[in-house]
Amino acid sequence: MRRIALALCLLSGPLVQAMDRSTADTLTARATAAYSRGDHAGALALFDSVYHHWRSAGLAYAMGNCHFKLDHVPQAIVYYERALLLEPGAEDVKANLELARQRTMDRVNELPSFRLGGTWERWLGGHDLDQWARRSLWGWALACALAAVGLLLRATLRTTVLAIAGGCALFAAVSVGLAARRLRAVEHPGAAIVVQPRVDVRSEPRDGATTLFMLHAGTKVALGAANAGWVEVTLANGHVGWMPTSAIEAI
Amino acid sequence: MMRRALLLLAALLALPFLIAAQEISFEAHVDRTAFEVGSSIRLTISLSNAKAGFTEPDLGGLIVVQGPFESSSFNYINGRMSSSVSRTYVLTATRPGTYTIGPATARADGGTLRTEPITVKVEKGSGATNDRLLNEGQQRDRDLFVTISLSKNKVHVGEQLVATYTLFSRYPNLELSKYDLPALNGFWAEEIDQGETTWEDRPRTVNGLQYRVAVLKKQLLFPQRAGTLRIEPLRITCLVNRSFFNRGSQVEAMSNATEVQVLPLPPNAPPGAVGTVGTFTFTGKLDRDRLRADEAMELTLTVAGTGNLKLIEAPVLDLPPDVERYDPKVNDRISVSGSGMSGSRSFQYLLIPRHAGELVLGPFSLAFYDPEADAYRSLQAGPFTVQVEPGSGGGQARLTRPSKADVEVLDTDIRFLRTGDLRLRPAGHHLLGSWAWWSGMAAPVLALALLAGWQRRRERNNADPSGRRRREADKVARKRFKEAHAALRDNAREPFYAAMNKALHGYLSDRFGLGAAEVNEAVLTRALGERPDAAALARQATDLIAACDMARYAPLEVKPRQAMYEEAIALVQQLERP
Repeated sequence: MRRIALALCLLSGPLVQAMDRSTADTLTARATAAYSRGDHAGALALFDSVYHHWRSAGLAYAMGNCHFKLDHVPQAIVYYERALLLEPGAEDVKANLELARQRTMDRVNELPSFRLGGTWERWLGGHDLDQWARRSLWGWALACALAAVGLLLRATLRTTVLAIAGGCALFAAVSVGLAARRLRAVEHPGAAIVVQPRVDVRSEPRDGATTLFMLHAGTKVALGAANAGWVEVTLANGHVGWMPTSAIEAI
Repeated sequence: MMRRALLLLAALLALPFLIAAQEISFEAHVDRTAFEVGSSIRLTISLSNAKAGFTEPDLGGLIVVQGPFESSSFNYINGRMSSSVSRTYVLTATRPGTYTIGPATARADGGTLRTEPITVKVEKGSGATNDRLLNEGQQRDRDLFVTISLSKNKVHVGEQLVATYTLFSRYPNLELSKYDLPALNGFWAEEIDQGETTWEDRPRTVNGLQYRVAVLKKQLLFPQRAGTLRIEPLRITCLVNRSFFNRGSQVEAMSNATEVQVLPLPPNAPPGAVGTVGTFTFTGKLDRDRLRADEAMELTLTVAGTGNLKLIEAPVLDLPPDVERYDPKVNDRISVSGSGMSGSRSFQYLLIPRHAGELVLGPFSLAFYDPEADAYRSLQAGPFTVQVEPGSGGGQARLTRPSKADVEVLDTDIRFLRTGDLRLRPAGHHLLGSWAWWSGMAAPVLALALLAGWQRRRERNNADPSGRRRREADKVARKRFKEAHAALRDNAREPFYAAMNKALHGYLSDRFGLGAAEVNEAVLTRALGERPDAAALARQATDLIAACDMARYAPLEVKPRQAMYEEAIALVQQLERP
């Protein structure tokens, strides 16, 4: 019995918040008012206090805007990227991210990749993190309901209804897969933004190794293996090297 | 006649030789040996019984205010003749200290006579002038000096101050031939017009000396940078003592140099406030509040007050782009006086709106530094609302229409925050894999399984009606026993026995699949089959039913009702047990 209670506590752990919802709403409203007044530093502090306990694409987007207005371009890019992870394909976030990227120094030619339009990206990513999990629940419930109807029906219609139920079950399974993919993307983004004004990327994880190339604040890198304060990074154009962990901020 | 005159002359000429027989004395004395700055002493040098000239003594720094006055006396009493000559000076000093009047010398009878030196003490008294500038000027040249005095020694950048150049002279006759104004590095200067330079009506006394005073010039200075700014001395050249007979002599005089402490303006100046220092008011006026498109209106912005008005630039108007504007006309009503620069400067803008609609102009702002309040201030004028009606289409027909133009992108900026609900989620919480998600996935499956089970049971029941009746016998009996218990509690005899009968009868017929009339001991014994107590149970059941019937239709109760009820329940339980 005690073991079950403990398990329940652990499961509901993330639900127990240090800041309740109404406080968070009040703080974000105050932060929005401060931002409108032009007090971007004050707005950022308020948004940040909420961000410790609550997440949303809108919140990350607002923090990106505050950083941008305070001229912290790399941090602005970090938060815009986080917002895009939470809500793929959001038009406003993409527009601001584009403006922020114009202020960075490095131009990295991306490898040609198959890119789809925002709508598809948006649909595939789901509007928020739990969208596909919810869809899987609905699909599964619908499949079970149809199966139940099929059980009650006459033999002639039964096959048709059960086939539809099977389709719904398949949809639910695909949804679970997509939800898991989203979750992995959000929890392990595997990418980071360079925050130091200038950083040398070296061939080995130690000071004094050959400098392969230089990166400047705001450039996005993909993260690889880590080794004693160093991390292997890959640029969008395929270059690989090591840089200190302190020079980057993970998305 | 002529002879008598000659005789008298001869007698007069012989006099000195007659007097020579008397004792000679030569001495100097002062009326006081101690005095204050601003007052004077009298020095008298007298020579008796000798006819000789004497030299003026070294006055040791004392200044002759009046004199010398000479007097001589000649006595002839009882054949004794005596004479004396004395010279009197009125002396003063401009600084306290000890002064020594040196000896005067006279040459008589082939010898040289000397007076004793005199020491006088000068103290700083109430008559001394405390003005440092005047004291220093007087020390430079006590007859002619110039001072530069400032209204303030400590100002902020751009704050006005007045510099006054004053000439002090003791020469009765003075002609200014030229003066070089000092170079003013770091200042913007504005002359204060004061007409022709004239002597002031009343002379001024400085440490006891009287001067005629003239203000040569007054300037308004606006420091342009912070730090210690130095004003170099003014140099003048004058001709003095010029008269009809005399060409006069040239005298030069120099003023003091002076310094101004210029404080920088405080930081974080609002935009536009740099360089504008003073105390101002800011007003605006629009001459019309309703006009047609393409007609002109006049916007007047006026800055009034005290400060560097002439340095105020036209405010840049932030107007909608479809309002045509022209460079402003500047109207100054500025007076420069000893109290500073004051007045007003107004800017007249000619504006022509090109499109109809309500037009809001402004508010326009003026920011400046107020040295009195020691703070930046920002004043606003407006906003002004003007109704622009469509331009006159009739009359002179307009051939050109406003042509369409591309929307001009003036600047780019990030998009604003999302308004409305931010759809916050607790950090680290997600639906997939959570307890809620697993239960949501499991619940339909459980429901489906339950449904399938129920369905199967229903189908089996439908296939076997008697089996169903048997299964439900216990449930039906239980319901009827409940009715019986209710009647027992209400002490209702007839309903109790009716319910008991129905319960037992119904239970037995349902349980063993019998017809209503088939319930009797033999049939029941057979139905109970191989149970060892079959016969006993069958009898007990039929006896109970009979007892019920008896009690129901005849006034005869075999047992108490409670006992009968309990016995019936026990019987059913025993029958249910396999």
